[in-house]
Amino acid sequence: MPSGILLFITFFVLILASPSAVLASPLEELAAAPRWQALLHINRGATLRSRGQSYVDDARFFLSEEGRSNSLAELRRSIEVLGQPDAEERCRFPARYRYLAATLGWDEPEPFSHCDEYQQWRSGIPDASVVLVFPAAYLNSPSSMFGHTLLRFDAVDQQSDWYAWAVNFGALVTAEDNSIFYIYRGLAGGYPGRFSTVSYVTKIQEYAHLENRDMWEYRLDLDANEIGWMIDHLWELKEVDFDYYFLDENCSFRLLELLEVARPEVDLLSDFRFAEVPVNTVRAIEGAGLIASRLYRPSKAVELEQAGEALSADERSMAVRLMKSVSLAEQPEYQALSQERRHLVARAAYQAARFRDRSKENNPEAAANSYALLRLMHANTAPELPPIRPPEPPEHGHATQMIAMSGGQRDNNGFGEIQYRLTYHDWLDNHRGFLDGAWIEALNLRVRREESDRWRLWQLDLVNIRSLAPRTAFVRPTSWFVHAGIDRPEVAGQRDATRFVRGGPGMAWRVGGWLPYGYLQARIENNDNVDPFINSGGGAELGVLRHGNRYSFHLSAESLYFADDQYRHRGQIGLQLPINQQNGIRLAALHDEWRGGRENSWMMTWRYYFD
Amino acid sequence: MKKTIIAALLLGSAAGAHADAAGGPGCGWGNMLFEGQSGMPMHLLATLVNGTSGNATFGMTTGTNGCDTSGALTYSGKSLLAMNGVLEEVAMDMATGEGEALTALSVSMGVPAEERAHFNQVMHQNFSAIFSRDDVTAGEVADQISAVMKADAVLAKHI
Repeated sequence: MPSGILLFITFFVLILASPSAVLASPLEELAAAPRWQALLHINRGATLRSRGQSYVDDARFFLSEEGRSNSLAELRRSIEVLGQPDAEERCRFPARYRYLAATLGWDEPEPFSHCDEYQQWRSGIPDASVVLVFPAAYLNSPSSMFGHTLLRFDAVDQQSDWYAWAVNFGALVTAEDNSIFYIYRGLAGGYPGRFSTVSYVTKIQEYAHLENRDMWEYRLDLDANEIGWMIDHLWELKEVDFDYYFLDENCSFRLLELLEVARPEVDLLSDFRFAEVPVNTVRAIEGAGLIASRLYRPSKAVELEQAGEALSADERSMAVRLMKSVSLAEQPEYQALSQERRHLVARAAYQAARFRDRSKENNPEAAANSYALLRLMHANTAPELPPIRPPEPPEHGHATQMIAMSGGQRDNNGFGEIQYRLTYHDWLDNHRGFLDGAWIEALNLRVRREESDRWRLWQLDLVNIRSLAPRTAFVRPTSWFVHAGIDRPEVAGQRDATRFVRGGPGMAWRVGGWLPYGYLQARIENNDNVDPFINSGGGAELGVLRHGNRYSFHLSAESLYFADDQYRHRGQIGLQLPINQQNGIRLAALHDEWRGGRENSWMMTWRYYFD
Repeated sequence: MKKTIIAALLLGSAAGAHADAAGGPGCGWGNMLFEGQSGMPMHLLATLVNGTSGNATFGMTTGTNGCDTSGALTYSGKSLLAMNGVLEEVAMDMATGEGEALTALSVSMGVPAEERAHFNQVMHQNFSAIFSRDDVTAGEVADQISAVMKADAVLAKHI
């Protein structure tokens, strides 16, 4: 019993252990200080794995053998080792040295005079300011869906952002790693994650030019001293292996850690951060008052879109024909335009051609065509080009998690429903700050209780991703959707949980403010009440989507025919009215028909978004 | 500043496994104007986990960069042009007469800010000489840019 009490007290003291705790010795205080904890990447409760331990999964990162799990032991050992004037370890851990020197009053004029490699690297790193870069998602590229974050280091007299340095945290993958197995590894962990630095222009090429992802650049409000901490610490992370986990310990998470090294008091990592979506990193640093300014760098897709919009309908049609055959340039129709309009038409045609061909294998015919368009642009003097209009920045969008409460009626039964969604956005959610036509949901759970029944799982979406990429005069993208989870269709007279996977290609257009679309659909499902074990069906969906200033509206009809002669038709209409950034009211009505029955239902939902 | 730029240029050409053309293994001197870029890290996984394709570089000012570095620590725009996709950006800006790529090029050629408008104008006027064919290579473009600058009273001093 006494030992139990003792254990309890010890535990209690451990919990309370903070720099101000009564029992702490000076060294314990230093070891528990936020900056030392940040320098060692100690998990202070932000994620579930290895709490109280360092995230760094690499023995080379610690001077003490128990350094990974004992920040005090690491501190003691560091004092011993780094206190030696000629210690090689100082060259590996300059930020740690700096911390000890500042807190213990070590005073050496040139502590790193023997560290040539470090000094050379350090003097080459631009350190005037730091920018957080957020390449957003590209609608039609599923793997980019949550975006990414990286840091950029700018020099004081930098005349072009292209020469800035990009600091990126990512999994170390090789070109061959492209199978399902590797994707699983990437999600579940198993890849080492590392920091790397490359020239920023390669990142612009990669994201804005090839992957068509808009880039948002947030200049951080850090002073030279804070940036110095970050750079010194970055050197300590050279070739150090972290585990890479897609959901939590990802690029965004690691960047927050770097920011904590720069300014420990921002305290970005004390809260639990599961599924660290990059946009939340932006919100976190905005909340910490770290953003000084914001800049938008459009993708090639947006540039093309706005180049097309700047033309009249006739000019647009000319640009499309010009893209196919440059000989149109000789025609009176084109020659009748002013020189500046000729430039703009040729420019749009060139941008469209490059958009189509840029990521394809080099082909002489396409190259000849692009070159001819480029010469046409050159031959006609460009007018003052209008700047690209930026969309609403992503951090102004609604939060990523959601809970909702609904009341409604199915047939003659009233019901109540509770919904939780881990992430992220569907078509009716307030589209401010999101890509038009993007629908990305993961772990979306609805439980419902109908009159005279108990609470039941009504629907579970494991993943539900839809892209609506409008086809324009210049580009003809294919839209698509994939959806997997559990739902309750009427099967054999019952509404039992049915596991399903469905998906298909589609097409979408933009007509005024409307987005009409159509999808083909294949569905396989498994329901305990029917043979065969797997039932399969196919069908189609037609619909239209509209995002107004103060509402989102969706109307659709879908039909599915199954191998066992069943069929299902569904018509639905939905309207969402945002109340503010984090709240909305949704109205939905459904009409369902199947072999042997039909029913109507409606519901009204209050949706609350939070992080 | 100079050092930073050189380092960035070296790094740039080192970035990833995508610069793989003539002019040395992993270097882009032979990159053509409309080089297809399907070899870029566009595959699903790399994007998903923000993969660092190939060997993760770590900003060393010395060391391997894919291109032949012997005596390459000179202040020139060649390394910039050799990077995948950059040639195309420069071509478009040159055809227009201004733009971010042209600015970056002028910086790498050592042209100060006050001469930039002149640089842009000269490059625009000589577009057809610099980008003389649809399959012109980065090396040829770099040589032509040097020749054009050398022939210009204001810009000649930077070559």
